[in-house]
Amino acid sequence: MELGRLEYLQALVTEFQVTDSTEAKEQVLANLANFAYDPSNYEYLRQLQVLDLFLDMLTEDNESLVEFAMGGLCNLCLDKTNKEYILEANGVEPIINCLSSSNEETVVSAVTTLMFLTTPRSRAQTTALPVVECMLRFSLSANRRLSNLASIFLQDYCTPPQVEEARNFSKHTAVGIPLPKD
Amino acid sequence: AADSSGGPGAPCRHHAQLGACESRAKYREGWRPRAVKVYTINLESRYLLIQGVPALGVMKELVEQFALYGAIEEYHALDEYPAEQFTEVYLIKFKKLQCARVAKKKMDERSFFGSLLHVCYAPEFETVQETREKLQDRRKYIAKATNHRDCFVLKKVEGPKKTASKNSDQDCPWSTSGSHVASNRDQSCFTSSAGVSHNIAYPSGNQNESLLTYPYYDNNCAEISGYFGQNTSLTPSVHPGGHTPPASLMQQRMVPAYNGIDRFMPRTTHLQERKRKREEGNKFSLIGMSEDNTEVVIGPQLPEIPKVDMDDESLNTSATLIRNKLKEVADSVSTSVEKPESSSAKPLVKQRRRI
Repeated sequence: MELGRLEYLQALVTEFQVTDSTEAKEQVLANLANFAYDPSNYEYLRQLQVLDLFLDMLTEDNESLVEFAMGGLCNLCLDKTNKEYILEANGVEPIINCLSSSNEETVVSAVTTLMFLTTPRSRAQTTALPVVECMLRFSLSANRRLSNLASIFLQDYCTPPQVEEARNFSKHTAVGIPLPKD
Repeated sequence: AADSSGGPGAPCRHHAQLGACESRAKYREGWRPRAVKVYTINLESRYLLIQGVPALGVMKELVEQFALYGAIEEYHALDEYPAEQFTEVYLIKFKKLQCARVAKKKMDERSFFGSLLHVCYAPEFETVQETREKLQDRRKYIAKATNHRDCFVLKKVEGPKKTASKNSDQDCPWSTSGSHVASNRDQSCFTSSAGVSHNIAYPSGNQNESLLTYPYYDNNCAEISGYFGQNTSLTPSVHPGGHTPPASLMQQRMVPAYNGIDRFMPRTTHLQERKRKREEGNKFSLIGMSEDNTEVVIGPQLPEIPKVDMDDESLNTSATLIRNKLKEVADSVSTSVEKPESSSAKPLVKQRRRI
């Protein structure tokens, strides 16, 4: 029921903005992130500026909020309009920063989101050298989900020269993006 | 930390059954108590882990239960997975993700031979190729689910060939396939393609233009092909003959190409698009419009009818000529539509009501 759903989503967003309870914020954000999985909600979510909400939450201290927001973005970023919106809003940067998170879900969502956001215009950013270097390290991780996704990133979204450059780069530097703890 | 990030068969954090959330506000309490968790494509999987199966030798019955939800490709016990006393853990691999999804929903927390099952996804069992296919399926699903919007735009732009939609040039990471129609998104966009060249078909019909696969070149070609796709029908006067070989225009139009895509949408499309949005917007009047009183834009942003400088005298002149012609056409179209219905001869756009 279209009207009912919009009202419901509006109520969620309002609760998020109004509540003082961290717990409630987390619940609502998770709820919105799950709604972001279904394309039939995208127009509502855009109207309610939920995309901005997700992007804003990426820099929060609360690890759960970051995790859920990153999941929400991962869920909705394949849609063309959402994708363009996120790219226009300079969303790639905070998403790349999520690669450094110690939260496994956050990292995994970030890897996938970067893949989904890669377009001819954005790929200079999404496959920048530090990112490729990070993916190289992730591809060696014992965490199968992470290593699979990183491998796909390297194979399907990077050119061989890019991967080679990152390999050489990582031989010479100690600084890098750490693997997530469990 | 090493244990929980171990290979398949080791307990993972995402297998853990979280406690149900007790503190939800009434309006968002579901039918069943649920934990606070976000499901993404990374968490979902054709592989399901089933814990709490009573150790009574009931594997056959278990598989039969799950098979009700779809074809099962593989199943076996996971002997090394930690299990509560008197229970076993099983892995079931469905042929389709959708079936696994339903099976999980139905069977999680279900009683089975006196014991409560806990069912969760087990994506760590996927091979790289299986993960890849999972992501590709998700892409296809979204493309199909949101396709109606792109088709709307494409249908309005009449052209000799419907190729090179914005769809494909935006979503193909670097091995572009401009020859794909919006609805026909097959695998070749996304296969790892070192050294493979794709033919990019321009609307002008140069099918044999096989371009190099270096990303830089592909970037420009993708955008140019989109550019062509949009304006072929409207600007035969701008591009002599309407079938200019791509190469010469590519050199001229590298930078402004992307901006150029939106400029030549026919005026009638704007009117119809806005009318449709207005009608839809009336349904949601309870939320009002966005703060600055502009219409809420759904879908790709269509520009105002621009008076845009295209950095070129002759192009500007041509554009102005076309713009005026379009206005003429649009006015005559809306007038002829309006006449039988109202006495006013004003074009539709002036009667638009802003909420």
